[in-house]
Amino acid sequence: MLTIQSLSKSYDKGKNFALDDVTIDLKAGDVCAIVGESGSGKTTLVRLIAGLERPDEGSISLNGKVIASDKKFVQPEKRKIGLVFQEYALFPHLTIEENILYGISKLKNKKKRAQEMLDLVGLSDLGKRYPHQLSGGQQQRVALARALAPEPSLLILDEPFSNLDAMLRMQLRNEVFDIIKKTGVTVLFVTHDTQDALSVADEIMILQNGKVIQKDAAANLYVKPNTLYVASLFGNTVQINKNLQTAFKCPLNENCCHAIRNEKFKVFPTHDGTDPKSIDECDHITKADVIKKVVLGDSIQLLLKLESGEQLTVMTQDSNIADSIYIGFNSNDILEFSEEN
Amino acid sequence: MKKIFLAIIAISIFTACKNDNQQKKSSTNEKSQDEEVMTLYTHRHYKPDQSIIKMFEDETNIKVKVVNASADELIQKMKMEGKQSPADVIITVDAGRLHRAKEQDLLQSIESDVLEKTIPSHLQDTDNQWFGFTKRARIIAYAKDRVKPEDLSTYEDLTAEKWKNKILIRSSSNIYNQSLMASIIANDGEEEAKEWAKGIVNNMARAPKGSDRDQVKAVVAGEGDLAIVNSYYIGKMLNSPDSEEVETAKKIGLFFPNQDGRGTHVNVSGAGVTKYAPNKENAIKFIEFLVSEKAQKEFTNLNYEYPVIESVEPTADIKAWGDFKEDNLELTKLGENNKKAVLLFDEAGWK
Amino acid sequence: MITRLNRLVRDTNKWSVFTLAIVLFLALPILFIGVELFAGPGESWNHITEYLLPEYILNSLYLIVFCSLLVLIFGVSSAWFVSRFEFPLRKQMEWLLILPLAIPSYIVGYAYAGIFDYGGSLNLILRYFNLDFIRIDVMNKAGLAFVLSISLFPYVYVSARAFFLNQANNLLEASKMLGVGEAKSFFKLMLPLARPAVVAGLVLVLMEVLNDYGAAKYYGVNTFTTGIFRSWFSLEEPQTAVYLSAILVVIILALILFEKWQVRKMKFNSVKTNNTQLERKETKGSQKWLIFSVVMLPVLLGFILPVAQLIYWATITASTVFDTAFIMLSLQSFGIAISSAIITVFFALLLIYFSKWSALNFIKNVAKVGVLGYAIPGAVIAIGIMLPTIAFDKWLIQILGQFGIDSGLIINGTLIALFYAYAVRFLAVAYHPIDSTALKVSESIPDSSKVLGVGHLKTFRKIEFPLIKTGVFSAVILVFIDVMKELPLTLILKPYHVDTLAVKAFEYASDEMVMEASIPSLFIIFTAMIPVIFLNKLLINK
Repeated sequence: MLTIQSLSKSYDKGKNFALDDVTIDLKAGDVCAIVGESGSGKTTLVRLIAGLERPDEGSISLNGKVIASDKKFVQPEKRKIGLVFQEYALFPHLTIEENILYGISKLKNKKKRAQEMLDLVGLSDLGKRYPHQLSGGQQQRVALARALAPEPSLLILDEPFSNLDAMLRMQLRNEVFDIIKKTGVTVLFVTHDTQDALSVADEIMILQNGKVIQKDAAANLYVKPNTLYVASLFGNTVQINKNLQTAFKCPLNENCCHAIRNEKFKVFPTHDGTDPKSIDECDHITKADVIKKVVLGDSIQLLLKLESGEQLTVMTQDSNIADSIYIGFNSNDILEFSEEN
Repeated sequence: MKKIFLAIIAISIFTACKNDNQQKKSSTNEKSQDEEVMTLYTHRHYKPDQSIIKMFEDETNIKVKVVNASADELIQKMKMEGKQSPADVIITVDAGRLHRAKEQDLLQSIESDVLEKTIPSHLQDTDNQWFGFTKRARIIAYAKDRVKPEDLSTYEDLTAEKWKNKILIRSSSNIYNQSLMASIIANDGEEEAKEWAKGIVNNMARAPKGSDRDQVKAVVAGEGDLAIVNSYYIGKMLNSPDSEEVETAKKIGLFFPNQDGRGTHVNVSGAGVTKYAPNKENAIKFIEFLVSEKAQKEFTNLNYEYPVIESVEPTADIKAWGDFKEDNLELTKLGENNKKAVLLFDEAGWK
Repeated sequence: MITRLNRLVRDTNKWSVFTLAIVLFLALPILFIGVELFAGPGESWNHITEYLLPEYILNSLYLIVFCSLLVLIFGVSSAWFVSRFEFPLRKQMEWLLILPLAIPSYIVGYAYAGIFDYGGSLNLILRYFNLDFIRIDVMNKAGLAFVLSISLFPYVYVSARAFFLNQANNLLEASKMLGVGEAKSFFKLMLPLARPAVVAGLVLVLMEVLNDYGAAKYYGVNTFTTGIFRSWFSLEEPQTAVYLSAILVVIILALILFEKWQVRKMKFNSVKTNNTQLERKETKGSQKWLIFSVVMLPVLLGFILPVAQLIYWATITASTVFDTAFIMLSLQSFGIAISSAIITVFFALLLIYFSKWSALNFIKNVAKVGVLGYAIPGAVIAIGIMLPTIAFDKWLIQILGQFGIDSGLIINGTLIALFYAYAVRFLAVAYHPIDSTALKVSESIPDSSKVLGVGHLKTFRKIEFPLIKTGVFSAVILVFIDVMKELPLTLILKPYHVDTLAVKAFEYASDEMVMEASIPSLFIIFTAMIPVIFLNKLLINK
């Protein structure tokens, strides 16, 4: 239903591209997450789709109609896209009810619709309050209600949970997506938090420096990241460079880039110079001295000096660590990327 | 409170716009049938003028709309308005400006026996385009304790060495000085006039600044010994609400220069009927009224000017200064020489 | 290339066109002056360059140098003391220091002339002590520089205070921690850092100094502005006036470039840290009273003394000046000021929002050209408006005359021309407070309205306007005050049956009735004072 073709946008006349040749296809009913760090272009993408910015090149069509190209531009107010802003952007001088009514003033049974929306987001009794009288989570839900009221065919959420603390975040994430699922609307969801994306999205797109670098189902991204960057987005990753390859005696394809997730390292505490028994479990193993041990609650961060002299930081759950250990990993846990990133 | 505030705003906006409409009405030359009107452009905003206008309105039932501004601005205004000008009469405080208006074809000749007979001929335009209705003399005010009146004689004598650093006079942008200069150009010629201006600049006690009253005050304060000022300012100072000014004015002596020659330089406040006057008859009536005894008495009693008609005596304060011989130079010359005067002042370094 | 052209076509909307039209409308007077330059100067131009121009330039430079000096001393010291120290009446001082802005500088000039005059207030006091051999003459260049400085220093005071209050605390604390004393911290740290803010205020002051007509005329100092009046009215050469205007505009542009260059050089200062408000130091004993007197001095000189002199005059002349006609005049003046304030603010709103709605980026820069009028002296703008409106009116008269309609002058010499001129001159005054409040409204607020299917105009009416109301309100007040005080432009363009209090005061003063001028002057001060106090409250609450 949403088709974006080779979309580009630059804010400095082509010196740097905020969005660079982005192509996206979204099916009706999908919940798609766009993940990227700040500056990756995700906000630009949202604003282009909503019609708040104009593309330099490429086109956007919604439900088969072109809404932005180099010849055509449909005003944002004519696009029927719902947008929940990062800072909610509630109108501070209007009540909650007036905020929701704002986009549906032409509807016949607007009052009823507004109440339905309030019920949907669980704020039935707060219609007469002003935004500043609500908590952050409540404001978030008002923003959602306001965006859903005109029954948009596409709902865009721009970093919807970034203003909330971690606990509330998880709770609200579930609440919001429960509400959204009830309406069956197509959702485009922008976040820098992979947790957000993994927990609710059917499909995830990774945006880096204005380019889509991977687009896949949530589970695949963890297992088969395209690049080192994507891999590191979904957990701490260590690149296996030349020195590490020597240290672990595992020569790898020179034309590729390799990495391993931090949790895939296996640490074998040694005592009195005897080798641990289970050491055979690993394909590649080396001896290491513990230089520094930092207890981080339930896990421990170790700074190691490998036999080869190389330094390496790993995490372990084992609290019983000696000064000298063995460390290793299995070859099938190695991630291989076609080119360096 | 808010309502009162809004009401004041509304009223004031209304007042501002209402006047604008009035202007438009009169400029389209629509005369209402029962009300006689005329529009007066005047440089004079003195109290007696207002009472004289009131007297005229009461006597003739002609309503006078007054537009106040400096003569220069009024002339520019009339030039721009052209045929559409609502002005019927223009009044200035010197003959030079009236002449300029005439030169620019803004005035018309009128025939009035009253004006012709009552006003001395040198005080009116040769083509009857304008008429002086009050006189003021440009005289010397001196410090009684430092100057012997016997030492004073003429304007020309003021350039003499003995007055070095003694003379106080205002700036050359002042019209009264420009007219005085114009009369000197007319009497002595351009070269002499330039030399005269240089001589005065040499003898100045300080750089020219302030008003005529300020020059008088400076004489009393001891900054200089002589001030060249207009007669009616002395009259005004003698009758000032500020007692300090009265005291100041009492401390100076007055001298009418050039009594043995051409006479003291006089200038007039004058009026003329404008070329496109929509209410010409009323305009003539108005100017005639200005030289009526009633009006002339007001001018001299309240504004300390010399009347132009013989039947009215100057007010007591002025009379006390005695009679004097006035320069009978045709005032038209003041206008003709005005621009020359301004340029010569600049060349002489008269600020 | 094709796509770029396509995009230009796509992005040009009616708002872009409207913005361009408004900017053109506002820049028209200046453009006309530019065009007139090609027609060559009037016949007296050589005379002027030979005898007068050097004086104009020297006097203007003199005023620039000495006013800068005085304004900096008054403005920066008072701003620092009220921001940094606690002393008696400090709170009152904060707004008292703004009050000199309520008095037009030419009126301060009249008052000082009266005070220092022979037989004036000071002279009488000295005479009482038999000291009247002491005479101070203010009616000269130095006096003019003093008068202009003392009435304009609040511009520097306001911008310097804003800097000290909101941006200086962290740095000052750091300096203290490094063991640097109060005085050294001020001169080595605060003063250099405050420079961009101070220079911005100073440039405003200098523009006003060059714009001044009333005070310079009264004090007999020939400047460009008096020269413009002289060549237009005394020499009757508008062409020559245009040439003088052009030179003046060049001087002012140089000042503006100087400021821009200053700010660029000082870019480090734009780093905004989350600063806490400056903490005030308690003062004791003699120090307390010393600071009090230093701060009191500009209030005394810039407000209390001149107003006292005016009130004294007013008591003498009230009976002759105050009548129904005067009340009408005051109402009229008030009405003109409030109408033009509303019109000007309206233009500012159009400019700000139309350019925002325009999808073309360069339009936003073009819009800024519309505010340059503030840099152009009133007399110059008046000439720039006179020329095209007369031409337009004459053309209209001709056209309508063919249909037998005698229209008269429709724009020239009517309030329309005056309102137009005020809008051109004071647009920046309205633009900045509105723009800065508009910037505080997050972009996502109007954006979310648009996404909800509501167009620009309705979004503005329903969402943006209610949120920027205070900015709009302070803009109206600021323009109102400026129009109440405005003299040179009003003198040239006002309809001749309409008077403003400022014009009335000037006319009295130029007719040697300076005492009578006191009542209209006091009326101006009074009407401007209330909003000034009010505005200070508004600024503090922010």
